[in-house]
Amino acid sequence: MTETATTPVQDEQGTPVLEARDVAVHFGGVKAVDGLSMTLRAGKIYGILGPNGSGKSTLLGAMTRLTQLTRGELLFDGEEYHKVPASQVAKKRVARTFQTVRLLPDLTVRDNIQLGADARTTEGTGSPGLLRTMFGQGVSPAVADAIARTNLDGFEDYYPSELSYGTQRRVEIARAIAMNPRLLLLDEPTAGMNQKERAEISKLLQSLRGEGLSQLLVEHDVQMMIDTCDYVFAMNFGHLIAEGTPADVVRDPQVQEAYLGKKWREHA
Amino acid sequence: MMDFFDSNVVLVQATFIGLVLALSVQVPLRMGVFSFAGAGSFGIGAYLAGIITIKYETPGIVAVLITMVVTAVIGLLLGLVISRLAGLYLAMATVAFDLIISVLAINGGELTGGPTGLYGVLSDFGTIHLVIVTLVVLALVAASEIGRTGRRVDAVRDDPELAASVGISVRRYRLVAFVVSGALGGAAGAMNILVRSTVTPQDIGFGLIVLALTMIIVGGARSWKGAVLGAVIFTWLPELLTIVGDWQPLIYGIIVALAAIFLPRGIHGLWVDSRRALQRRRREKAAGGAAGVAGDDDDDSGSTVIEKLKESSEMEATP
Repeated sequence: MTETATTPVQDEQGTPVLEARDVAVHFGGVKAVDGLSMTLRAGKIYGILGPNGSGKSTLLGAMTRLTQLTRGELLFDGEEYHKVPASQVAKKRVARTFQTVRLLPDLTVRDNIQLGADARTTEGTGSPGLLRTMFGQGVSPAVADAIARTNLDGFEDYYPSELSYGTQRRVEIARAIAMNPRLLLLDEPTAGMNQKERAEISKLLQSLRGEGLSQLLVEHDVQMMIDTCDYVFAMNFGHLIAEGTPADVVRDPQVQEAYLGKKWREHA
Repeated sequence: MMDFFDSNVVLVQATFIGLVLALSVQVPLRMGVFSFAGAGSFGIGAYLAGIITIKYETPGIVAVLITMVVTAVIGLLLGLVISRLAGLYLAMATVAFDLIISVLAINGGELTGGPTGLYGVLSDFGTIHLVIVTLVVLALVAASEIGRTGRRVDAVRDDPELAASVGISVRRYRLVAFVVSGALGGAAGAMNILVRSTVTPQDIGFGLIVLALTMIIVGGARSWKGAVLGAVIFTWLPELLTIVGDWQPLIYGIIVALAAIFLPRGIHGLWVDSRRALQRRRREKAAGGAAGVAGDDDDDSGSTVIEKLKESSEMEATP
């Protein structure tokens, strides 16, 4: 975890994968996200920092169409998708994890991960046929790969309730990876994990970046952000207050004020 | 064996019909859809199969198939109208649908036989046909509980947002639940009138919802095996309880209440939980306690945002 794997980059390079333009999500009078724009490019790891209630998770919900936009546009590969149902977003190969672990309690670890792999069963050639697709009980190679990459070997037959919180988190990440995504949205992926597990997840995300996978990470562990992300956005009260390399964003006075308050900043 | 069958043929038929009826309520419940429309479809199926058999002398199996198609379409239309409702509101809407069918049957004049119902529906549909249709239905429902379809049904029921995030169209699955429920309820109703040759408005009332729910609550709502257990128990139990005379409804009620309290996942759920507990014990014995299992959480948290920002700000403030 202590090694810094990222080199500061200008976020102008790379093909845009996802673009959010003037995105707003209002819940009655509460402006959870208010006029936010950002571009996520191919093969990079982005992070979102912000105090609780700053709108980070709501933004992820909007990007996956689980939360309705009040206004604004979302584009994936240059194509608008802010009016399609949430289930169509997965077909664009956008995978996500949630702020609190969401696994199906009656499925084993293997089946929970296979649920992610199922999303890509019908795509491409070599379709196994309708009946086998619908009712077949085979495990796809993507599941074995996701299990190996998240160090879940040996846990395949466990049920979620039998696992520690950190291990449940890894199952969620494995399910997302099994979808063979082009963009991975991770909402506090290392919450509940110990330092060793965090380092492993950071290494995994960097290895996925090496394969060209774009990632957007919401995380409270700043060291994890610094070690893992290429570019960081900071949010407060639904607005972007800073963006840049992780080190720059962490030093930004507005970010420090958002977390620590004006008085503390003046005192320092 | 044959003597037993001959003397209990009505109960055997009732078991199979009750099973298909229970499945018509269980399939939507497995998808998180609180719909009791299967009971209304039972009524439509019974009257429709009776009417086409009387008027056109339709072969029994054809009458059942026609009924299933019609009730599936009605299920789809009903689903399109009310599938956006959820929980208690959806349940109430489907109960209203069932009651409307009863009212239509009573006021249907010559077509439905009015309050006295339809009589003399003579068909070639026998117990063997009933068993075959039920087994085919059971095989299809069982197939929907395994593989990709089974996982997706679980996701739609347990976490619709998660389901959508892995590419499942929750609305489509819910509509399918209404269609399947309609077809199964229709099949149960059609088979009921074809083997008994009669149906009255009293046969399709609110009691059907109670019967189907009782079967799957006690048997188990998550699997066809639960519906089988429930259908067998609640078709044969009243017969066995005749020995207690007037106390029969009370004993019946106590058994249902105890099952609901002590077996929240039904008898089948108890079996599943016991099997899992056994597997867990075996694994624990084999592994001698592995890292990553419940209770192994490590509180070794990372650097929080506040700690890191304070650190960074202090560095800046230092000349």
